[in-house]
Amino acid sequence: MTRVKVLLAVAALAMAIGLWFALTAPTDALQGDFTRIINIHAPSMWLAFLAFGVTALGSAMWLIRKHNRWDRLAEASAELGVMFTAIGLFTGMVWGKAVWGRAWDWGDARLATSAVMFFVYVGYLALRAATPDPIERARRSAILGVIAVIQVPLVYFSVNLFRTLHQTQSIRPDGATMPQEMAIAILVNVIAYTILYVALLVARIDVAKAEERVANEDALAGDTVKPPRLSEVKDV
Amino acid sequence: MSFWSQAIEIARVDLRVERRLGDTMRIVLPFAVVALLIFPLTLGVDLTAVSRLGPAVFWALGILFGMQVALRQAAHDDRERRDLYALLGVDPAARFAGRTISGAVLMTGFLAVLLVAMIVLYSPRLPDGWLGPVVLSSVLVAIGLTELGTLAGEVTAGLNNRTALASLIVAPLALPLVIGASQTLEALARDASILPWVLVLVATDLALAVAGVGLARPLEEASR
Repeated sequence: MTRVKVLLAVAALAMAIGLWFALTAPTDALQGDFTRIINIHAPSMWLAFLAFGVTALGSAMWLIRKHNRWDRLAEASAELGVMFTAIGLFTGMVWGKAVWGRAWDWGDARLATSAVMFFVYVGYLALRAATPDPIERARRSAILGVIAVIQVPLVYFSVNLFRTLHQTQSIRPDGATMPQEMAIAILVNVIAYTILYVALLVARIDVAKAEERVANEDALAGDTVKPPRLSEVKDV
Repeated sequence: MSFWSQAIEIARVDLRVERRLGDTMRIVLPFAVVALLIFPLTLGVDLTAVSRLGPAVFWALGILFGMQVALRQAAHDDRERRDLYALLGVDPAARFAGRTISGAVLMTGFLAVLLVAMIVLYSPRLPDGWLGPVVLSSVLVAIGLTELGTLAGEVTAGLNNRTALASLIVAPLALPLVIGASQTLEALARDASILPWVLVLVATDLALAVAGVGLARPLEEASR
């Protein structure tokens, strides 16, 4: 548990530094302070891609190794991916409402494909919840985890594939399409959010281990005998 | 028996079962045509809008009802049948390939009838030379959707809420197919190349085929 606390403390510190960079970075002349939303939006979407990639990796490794640790990794990462996608979608919609005048614009292919990606992984979590047997759950969700990741490149490249309102990648190998201070603020926040992701991932995996321990505890003699319910007792 | 002999034999059995039961052509297809009829009624008597939306409605209904076709196919594969295939030593990958072949044949027929119904009911303005690209994208959508349906059917086999869960899994994952198919016609209308969209469909079908064949063994274990 100490490891998780240390990681969360480091994440909190990194997030504070990221927030400071986000609040002090220059803003766009037309968008004003709404530009700062990108410091939450871009890292959240990056983390969603990373989390779903880790889910696919954990799933593939479970299929090869059949070890619980890979299933726990896939599950924890998928949950975090869904959370970060939700944050990314929400912040994107807030920004869209302020700048485009509407929260949801069908002209933005990234927005629509991200929403669909969100539901792909909601389906993944629903499949996990619907399968009571742990081995079956791991096997079925590992198969889906490997298949579901095909959605990620579609979301990432949607801005290049379609004529869309959403801008193409702002930070590229050949340089950034924005002032350096803004790019640095985004990068600092990406690092801070990645540390937060790692901390939450480790914490969630610990919770999953604890859940497994409870489920695997040996049953006591007489556990399966239940007292009769009052409604089932006749002629009292 | 070779891999392909097994796959073709399984496809033949599936199609024979479908011919006897008629689930796709007697139940799902009429239901989809009813949906085609209902949609313009919600728009009012706006013939221009109905004509313009025709191809989009065709693809949306094709995917949604096609999903039912794909999942119905997987639903026929009960535990006893899977055990029988296993005892006969049928390669799980051949079973996946066979299921994909039969499903794609059925789905292509389903989409062809739905397309004719849409053209009759909606009188859409289709660009010149539309038939070839629409047939090509329909076949590619049929293959992809069947692969997805087979995978989702196996993953959810035996679960209580299987129908709803399999639909939730298939519908969002069919997005590349919806986009590729609808944008092919859109590109044709703009006089642009349809190649990128055909490639999206081919890449999706190939990725699902690789996943289906590669995961055939764990899929078989999962569905027992």
